[in-house]
Amino acid sequence: MTYVLQRVAYALLVLFLVSIVTFVGLHVAPGDVTTSVLNPTTTPPEVIAALREQLGLDQPILVQYWNYLHGVLTGDLGLSLVDRVPVRTVIANSAGYTVVLALAAFVVTFGLGVPLGALSAIRKGGVVDFVIRGFANLLLGIPDFVLALLLILVVAVHLHWLPVSGASSWRNLVLPAFVLAAEPLGLTIRVTRVAFLENRQADYVRTLRARGVSATRIDWRHILRNSMTAVVSLGAVQVRTLLGYALIVEVIFRWPGLGYQLVHSILQRDYAVTQSLVLLLAAVVVISSTIGDLLLAWVDPRIRTGGASE
Amino acid sequence: MSERVADVSLPRRATRMSLSSRAPKALLWLFGAAVLLGGLTGVVVLLTPSLHHLYERQDLTATFQGPMTDGHLLGTDNLGRDLFWRSLAGLGVSLVVGVGVAVISLAVGLVIGILAGFFGKVADVTATVVVDVTWAFPAILLAIVLTGARGPGLVTVVMALALTSWAGFARLVRGEVLALREREFVSAALVLGVSKVRVSVRHFLPALLPLSLVMGAFFVSTSVAAEAGLSFLGLGTQPPTPSLGSILADGRLYLPVSPWPIIVAGSFLAATVTFFNTVGDRLRDTWDPREVTRP
Repeated sequence: MTYVLQRVAYALLVLFLVSIVTFVGLHVAPGDVTTSVLNPTTTPPEVIAALREQLGLDQPILVQYWNYLHGVLTGDLGLSLVDRVPVRTVIANSAGYTVVLALAAFVVTFGLGVPLGALSAIRKGGVVDFVIRGFANLLLGIPDFVLALLLILVVAVHLHWLPVSGASSWRNLVLPAFVLAAEPLGLTIRVTRVAFLENRQADYVRTLRARGVSATRIDWRHILRNSMTAVVSLGAVQVRTLLGYALIVEVIFRWPGLGYQLVHSILQRDYAVTQSLVLLLAAVVVISSTIGDLLLAWVDPRIRTGGASE
Repeated sequence: MSERVADVSLPRRATRMSLSSRAPKALLWLFGAAVLLGGLTGVVVLLTPSLHHLYERQDLTATFQGPMTDGHLLGTDNLGRDLFWRSLAGLGVSLVVGVGVAVISLAVGLVIGILAGFFGKVADVTATVVVDVTWAFPAILLAIVLTGARGPGLVTVVMALALTSWAGFARLVRGEVLALREREFVSAALVLGVSKVRVSVRHFLPALLPLSLVMGAFFVSTSVAAEAGLSFLGLGTQPPTPSLGSILADGRLYLPVSPWPIIVAGSFLAATVTFFNTVGDRLRDTWDPREVTRP
């Protein structure tokens, strides 16, 4: 229990520092939002000054940070000046799309990756193994957005099977979800295969075989289940990578999620939105890695007592 | 951070997991020679103004040509510029960014990791917090924000990518150092009065070389992909400097007219990323058979 409290307290500390880094990082940037909503050459300086004052941009940075932190904690994230709506609305409108996309990618990653990895291990050295490993390496070697472009070229432009942009139906989800899943899928296949091959050497497999359990049952029931720990611990690391790539994939497919909003807000210098989105995405990373640590500690008691490495 | 260290001191075991580690060595050499030679040629062309016409000259009467037409080995783009030379120059930019990011990340990661693992509690806690805060930002997220804030450009891209990628490596270094400092030769050196800095330089750095080279190869491959991604979004290398990412972005606009820009620049990019991934896998299989998660 103390371990859990320690981890949570530490995660809060990291989040606090992340909020400072984000805030300061965006405030040393040249230009501010007033120049993107008001034309600086045609607008009287008094009007710009008034807007700056209204937004609190004329106050010392510490005061601005305090106001911002207070807003975050009370759920008031400010106003998107470009779209003229509260930032909370912007996030609420786009978060759902990102969650759906991430879940779909997650399903593709593990739904395909684990069976393919296991199959590759069972047929080790054969043609199936060769093909699956080639496929995994291909997925790891092609950058996401290149894969996206190739798929757009083949599936959408030439075959007219699927739409390439927007989010009007579930058919729009297919390409971005597969592209986002590509790299984690390649990794999952490789990790499952290695874990599977290692488990095949284990004593319990020999025992099961001696007891007359069928080879299929040993493979798909016992070995596969024991191989899953490696895959699950990989999953926690993957959240961070996946979030990063989601930004690019969303832009390419014009999928109106958080990443699309983020890039849009940066290009528009809409700081209130950028700041909140960066903080939100970083928070997701911190929270998921904390949960990952807690899960590992739950599985492996040595970590809790700190006796593993010392 | 300390929770993850357990992974690092696992017993070594041989894992042959990649197809590429079985591919014939000659093929890898050939492939590598092509990527490196191409990249170097690209750098030379970029640095020599009198050669810029190779990738800059426009010919609006010969746009969207296919490969092997009219003296253009791999065809032309929407302005009739030569795709082979543009991609080669872009590859040069990619390699400069990749190597730059790798060198900076390795240097920072080694220093911070050794500080954390060997120079007392305060250094350890401070370094751990810095690493965890950095780690909270997905590499591409921070790169996008930084390039958005600082204005795009080659230097910004390298800075942005290096700023995020050292953290994972520093974690691994710290874990290795925690294990190394318990070894007899380190105790012996310390007892004999050798300073901690000297022990770090003379004993830790050589021992960390294999891990550094493996991670270096992965840093190059991830940074090449990330640079292209940023340039694709318009946040990376700026015109007129060609970049694989911006060739792809232009190509996307004219995709229904001609697929060649995307096929050519995409192949250059995929080949480079695959090559450095393969080198990383190979080095790991040789020196460091544990599964190091790619950054």
